[in-house]
Amino acid sequence: MPYKYYGGVHPDYAKTAAKTPVRTIAPPKEVVIPMVQHIGAPDQPTVKVGDTVTVGQLIGSNDAPVSAPVHATVSGKVTAVEPRRHMLGDMVMSVVIENDFQDTPCEDMKPLTEEQLKDPDAIIQRIRDAGVVGMGGAMFPTAFKIQGARGKVDTLIINGAECEPYLCGDHRTMLEHPEELLKGIELVRIAHGLDKCYYGIEKNKQDAIDLLTGLDPAKYGVEIVPEVVKYPQGAEKMQVKANTDREVKPGGLPSGVGCNVVSTYTAYQVYRACYEGVPSIERVVTVAGDCVPEAQNLLVRFGTPLEHIFAEAGADMDKVERICMGGPMMGICVADASAGSVKGASGLLLFSREMNRESETPTCIRCGNCIAHCPMKLEPMYMYMYVRKGDFRKMEEYHVMDCFECGSCSWGCPGRLPLTHTFKVGKAMLTAHRAEEKAKAEAAKANAAAAGKEAKA
Amino acid sequence: MEEKKLFKVTSNPILRTDRDTSRIMLDVIIALVPALGVGAYMFGMNVAILLVVNVACCVFFEWGYRKLLKKNCAVGDLSAVVTGVLLTCVMPSAAPWWLCPIGSFFAIVVVKQLYGGIGKNFLNPALAGRAFLSAAYAAQMTSWAVPNALRDTVVDAVTMSTPLSYLHNGDALPEYFNYLNMFLGGIPGSIGEISALALLIGGAYLIVRKVITWRIPASFIGTVAVLTLVFGCEGYGNFEWMLYNVLSGGLFLGAFFMATDYATSPVNLKGQLLYGAGCGAITVLIRYFGSYPEGVSYAILIMNCCTWAIDRALRPRQFGVSKEDLKAKKAAAKAAKKQAKEAAAND
Repeated sequence: MPYKYYGGVHPDYAKTAAKTPVRTIAPPKEVVIPMVQHIGAPDQPTVKVGDTVTVGQLIGSNDAPVSAPVHATVSGKVTAVEPRRHMLGDMVMSVVIENDFQDTPCEDMKPLTEEQLKDPDAIIQRIRDAGVVGMGGAMFPTAFKIQGARGKVDTLIINGAECEPYLCGDHRTMLEHPEELLKGIELVRIAHGLDKCYYGIEKNKQDAIDLLTGLDPAKYGVEIVPEVVKYPQGAEKMQVKANTDREVKPGGLPSGVGCNVVSTYTAYQVYRACYEGVPSIERVVTVAGDCVPEAQNLLVRFGTPLEHIFAEAGADMDKVERICMGGPMMGICVADASAGSVKGASGLLLFSREMNRESETPTCIRCGNCIAHCPMKLEPMYMYMYVRKGDFRKMEEYHVMDCFECGSCSWGCPGRLPLTHTFKVGKAMLTAHRAEEKAKAEAAKANAAAAGKEAKA
Repeated sequence: MEEKKLFKVTSNPILRTDRDTSRIMLDVIIALVPALGVGAYMFGMNVAILLVVNVACCVFFEWGYRKLLKKNCAVGDLSAVVTGVLLTCVMPSAAPWWLCPIGSFFAIVVVKQLYGGIGKNFLNPALAGRAFLSAAYAAQMTSWAVPNALRDTVVDAVTMSTPLSYLHNGDALPEYFNYLNMFLGGIPGSIGEISALALLIGGAYLIVRKVITWRIPASFIGTVAVLTLVFGCEGYGNFEWMLYNVLSGGLFLGAFFMATDYATSPVNLKGQLLYGAGCGAITVLIRYFGSYPEGVSYAILIMNCCTWAIDRALRPRQFGVSKEDLKAKKAAAKAAKKQAKEAAAND
């Protein structure tokens, strides 16, 4: 039985694509693959203009521990290695490949052998080589995450909540590749050196729960946990709380309370990397929103220009006001539709003006919805006030740093306050302030030491 | 180069609930319809006149003040309409119409807008307006018309005393103030407060629509019920006394519609319980020991003043910090203090 946690909201789930099978879209003429598709050190391109590349060939890597390599997603000729616009807004070094439509496979990566599939080190090495990152949207390098948690955690949780509205990619993967998924989860579990793991799935995916339960998950060391349908059930801290009743410490990681959380699609990518020798080159993207005639799940190669994806989905681009990468609650707006798709884009949502409920004159009416909704038990209303004032002492007192930006407060705010956005700003302000205070304290200490020395002399 | 279309960027969440401030205010107005309906049925035309004048004045003052100070026009959020409707609910049925502009002005301009408008006032505007009128026009604000339901029983008078003034003086209640009349609204009193049933329907609607939670009304009414049950009155059975106290006066109106006013009630859940209990306790104190027969409105106004303090005192536990953690932290701080003291003493 999953444990309860405070707060949360029930937005319109709009999972209309849940019954639509995944469709592979036609490959684009050209892919733009940014060297930053993960959190950590940016990759350095390992190919140059004029090179011929094959599908799955390594095109960028970095030796830093927190990073993930990227691979060519089509075969063809490299036409440019230059900064291009990233989905998230920055200009980022990217490799542009002209597609020759041959899909010549790269032979560098072989499936793991029987023995290797039981060896945690081999699995983690493969996860790293395949460039697998947290596919839930955080894009944290999975190999580093597992390496850091190995031996320290006693519980592994696979996150199948998919609590964001519209998104159905994980749900479809559960239905279409249940066995592969369970094998992938087994690999992740072996990599952690654990005998058992939980697989938390929200109850609105009952068909998937039934299907997976029918496949004897215990054989893979997996226990399926049907979870309450509530946003943000899929947040790391909520998953830990729901499955183990442990609360992640403020400022801490799940590994601090002996847990690690890995998302569904990440586990599936681990399966493909280890069993099939296919690096992370494509994923299911749910394309939905009121500007798309029909919500659909598309198998998209990374680097595919968004325009191409939208054309394939038949979207009415003239009506679109905002493009959202990820789910509508934690997703990020994309300004430039010519950017290439990245690993963390689990959904691409196209919304018209009618869906925009931002207000010119946001006004707090003290209704307290934000406090009732905050899963971290914060008081967003007061935090908003103190961040706007720039009162650092109060910001600390009201735990602004604990906010993980799930968006529940803003979602339910009748006064349309930009709460979540303000906390993003507030966290940056507070981080800078803390660094400044620390530097000041150190300088004062050094001064005092110098003065002491002088006095002695 | 061709100009590329760039799409709009907003922060997350991209979508928001469709329930905005005006929708919530509309829900409050809808919830007050049964109570006002009973009021109009019992007291007739004057109710409609007071309602129209109050709403018009409130909206006008809100619009005028913000226009005058070149602030954004906030009439569209319907909060001024709600204030007007609530002010009507707490006025006696026989009140003359010219009280309305005065009460509205005090409620909207002095109590609400001078503090910055919606969400920033610390007193309930409608109740503060009523309190002002009661102080300034005591005679008009305490003349209670005979409700239509009692026309045949009380034939010789235009006005009559409320059940609460009988209770306050310790007199025996007349026959016609029975439970049924109190529950359905056949008693004299303020326009919106007479029918417990109508107010319960409205309150249930607000709770179902998630405009309010059960916390404040339940703790408010519960506290009054428990206190009056325990501390009864001579000449009444304890249970009988409790029911009279709960059903008469403005308790239901206050508990469901006044004490739950967003701007002037605590936002933290534990704080809401304390706030409701405080309202209930002060109501009983005023009814027992005060010089007024009715204490609901003053109890709420007094607790309004404590709202921010309550919010600060009863903050939720930080996620990830258990009670044991807090205790350990406290103990560590104490030990450090002690150590520092000893070190200072040794120097």
